[in-house]
Amino acid sequence: MGIISPFGQGICDTIDSIRTATRGIKPLHLFPTVETPLPVGEISSFSSKEDVPRTHALAYAAAEEAMKKEGGPPDAVVIGVTTGGMPVTEELLKQGAVAPERYRNHSTGSIAENIAHRVGCKGPVLTVSTACSSGSAALKIALEMLRSGRVKRVLAGGVDALCKLTYYGFHSLQLVDATGAHPFDKGRRGMSVGEGAAMLLLRAAEIPPDDVLAELVGAGLSCDAYHPASPHPEGVGALHAMKEALTDACISPADVDYVHLHGTGTIDNDLAEARAVHALFGNQPLPLLSSIKGSVGHSLAAAGAIGAVVSTLSITQGIIPANTGFHDPDPGLCLTPVREPLEAKINTVLVNAFGFGGNNAALVIGRPGGREDFKAPVCAAKPRAFAILGSSCFTGAGDAGQTMKRISRGEGAGGIVPSAEILRFLSEKYVRRMKRLCRMVLSLAISACGDTTMTKPPASVFFGTGWGGLSETHDFLTKLFASNERFTSPTDFVGSVHNAAAGHVAIHLKATGPNVTMTGGDCSFEQALLSASLLTRNSDDPLLVIGADEYHEKLSPLFDASVAQAGVPADGGGALCLMPVTSTSPLQIYPSFFSYTGNNGKCITELINALGGRERINDEFGAVLAGIPAAQREKGEGQLSKFLSLTGYPHPVIDYRRFVGEFASASAVAAILAVSFLKAGEIPGNVCHQGSVSLQGKGVLVMGFGNYITAVEIRP
Amino acid sequence: MNELINELKVKIIETLNLIAISPGDIIDDAQLIGGDLGLDSIDVLELVMMLEKDYGVKIDSRELGVKVFASVAALADYVHHYRPEKNN
Repeated sequence: MGIISPFGQGICDTIDSIRTATRGIKPLHLFPTVETPLPVGEISSFSSKEDVPRTHALAYAAAEEAMKKEGGPPDAVVIGVTTGGMPVTEELLKQGAVAPERYRNHSTGSIAENIAHRVGCKGPVLTVSTACSSGSAALKIALEMLRSGRVKRVLAGGVDALCKLTYYGFHSLQLVDATGAHPFDKGRRGMSVGEGAAMLLLRAAEIPPDDVLAELVGAGLSCDAYHPASPHPEGVGALHAMKEALTDACISPADVDYVHLHGTGTIDNDLAEARAVHALFGNQPLPLLSSIKGSVGHSLAAAGAIGAVVSTLSITQGIIPANTGFHDPDPGLCLTPVREPLEAKINTVLVNAFGFGGNNAALVIGRPGGREDFKAPVCAAKPRAFAILGSSCFTGAGDAGQTMKRISRGEGAGGIVPSAEILRFLSEKYVRRMKRLCRMVLSLAISACGDTTMTKPPASVFFGTGWGGLSETHDFLTKLFASNERFTSPTDFVGSVHNAAAGHVAIHLKATGPNVTMTGGDCSFEQALLSASLLTRNSDDPLLVIGADEYHEKLSPLFDASVAQAGVPADGGGALCLMPVTSTSPLQIYPSFFSYTGNNGKCITELINALGGRERINDEFGAVLAGIPAAQREKGEGQLSKFLSLTGYPHPVIDYRRFVGEFASASAVAAILAVSFLKAGEIPGNVCHQGSVSLQGKGVLVMGFGNYITAVEIRP
Repeated sequence: MNELINELKVKIIETLNLIAISPGDIIDDAQLIGGDLGLDSIDVLELVMMLEKDYGVKIDSRELGVKVFASVAALADYVHHYRPEKNN
């Protein structure tokens, strides 16, 4: 494990601070403010010599510590983060810097990628952005990857650094306590924005090895589907996530010794969580409870992972951290957390983390071998395939039908999605607070569901976006800087979180299952599909997998090197309404390969093996849709030609970004094109410089090349 | 006062991007939040920013907000009493 927080840097400092109940909340020092600085959970002793944003540096510090004793690289890296390179980006935007090179570390995905590069990971590298539950969601995805048997060791965790976006954003929502957070106290007025990072190295094992600190025995995700920024008042979603986690761990509430509460200190969050905890434990006495956010503040995406590390310390050190800042019990909560650090033998901890978009997560951490009745995780042979029930897409040409028409004529479908097209399924009144990306995603979701004959709405939503809501991010910062950092828009702040769009979809469809947003650059859609196949293992409900990105005149060319290189604005996305596959499913989709190529010289061979070898590829797939981002063209084209020569692939290969334009989630559009080709049974003429080509009942491979190699099978 | 009420209605419509609503549709004494306009807590906070920026009026607690945003008439009354002298 590795950790850095206002408790200190490293496990040893953290243990000392927990024992002495250090209150690490102090007035902001990191950047100057016009008004009196508010109290924050800042890691004042930390500075990095490296030329990377603070978020990256914090993540490296925790990852290095977590990997210290490990012999080899992890098979996968999964990082939860919301701010990405924002600490640097917002300063550059304020200065008016226009060189894209300076924004190279803006993307949330760059943190996981840089860590993967350092630790030598060759497998899947994933980035989760579910706001303040990101770190826990990352651990849940890591757990399911291990259970699937795909990987043996995963480095997973969360990170966020203090920046103006979050400092002023939460202030604009009046969620900040000017005296510092007092979670669950009668006089609590809000949270303290914080920062930190925590990483855990997880190993798959039926029997825990001797050197193991604790077991991640279960985890649960849910969505409130209630409001973009406020929790469900009764804590319904929070309760659902906790129940899911306990079920996943095969334990009952009575088995829980300690609940590491989310407890941000806001009036509504603490009330909702208290109600959820009471509902979970019913008439039983409550176990030991505490939130550490009165000590370290709310480190947002890192919070759940920090909770996991601190809870592991509760098990190994026998110490429960104090709920610092709690003085007077609130009769409305009927909940008294641990006031002073407490020594106790702890076997099982429930760790809560809840975020914007109603994205809830809970983890169960147990003493290794401490409970005989912990059942070994159910191992699925591999991640599941899905049946495709419906689909929708947007490109510069319009919807899927218009896109196919344009492509069939040999014309490109790139460009900006017409606004009227996005609004076709939406009432302007209903979406008055949503900007471009949220509107596009909601419209895609409605349209994909409308494309099916199913009566049951999707229960879960998996969304991939390279850049999130750029309009909101831009407008928030522009207003902030124009007013000398005095005024901003709370609506834009709420809309700027990467998972805002998926939250709106959940609210609209009342989808209370997992709601997961993946933000891994050019393969965000593939990450969303992979997460869906891992996280819906036990569900038979329909689900949505969506990928979309908006073009923003100012920010897209600065952030996305492929957009800058192409010089032609383009955006769009695609949505698939899916079900677990059955024998009668007409079309199926399966994420078969995902690998980081930075450390992997053998990835083409591994790719071919993962797809079942040369013969299967040539026999079962009648076309390849190849995605090569403009900024990685040379590398990607080299990989593609190696793949083609090693397989002797005889069927058409379509370089689809040349048709749909350069945007991070172009692969989502490619997936919908593949579905259209399969429904038509052929690839239209003009697409591959020849007449129309029959697929002869074969499937289509949607592949990505460049810094990552991905393969998604779509077949009859 | 009527002038201020009308001015606030225009600003509310602009700030909250209220589609297809004209100042005449907002009734002076009608419930502003959670009423027919479909406004919620985020809209309130957006209006709080607007009031501070355009009128120099601070509303920094939920209890105060409930009173101030009861209706446009109540809002105008509050702005009228608490805006700094130079703006009057």
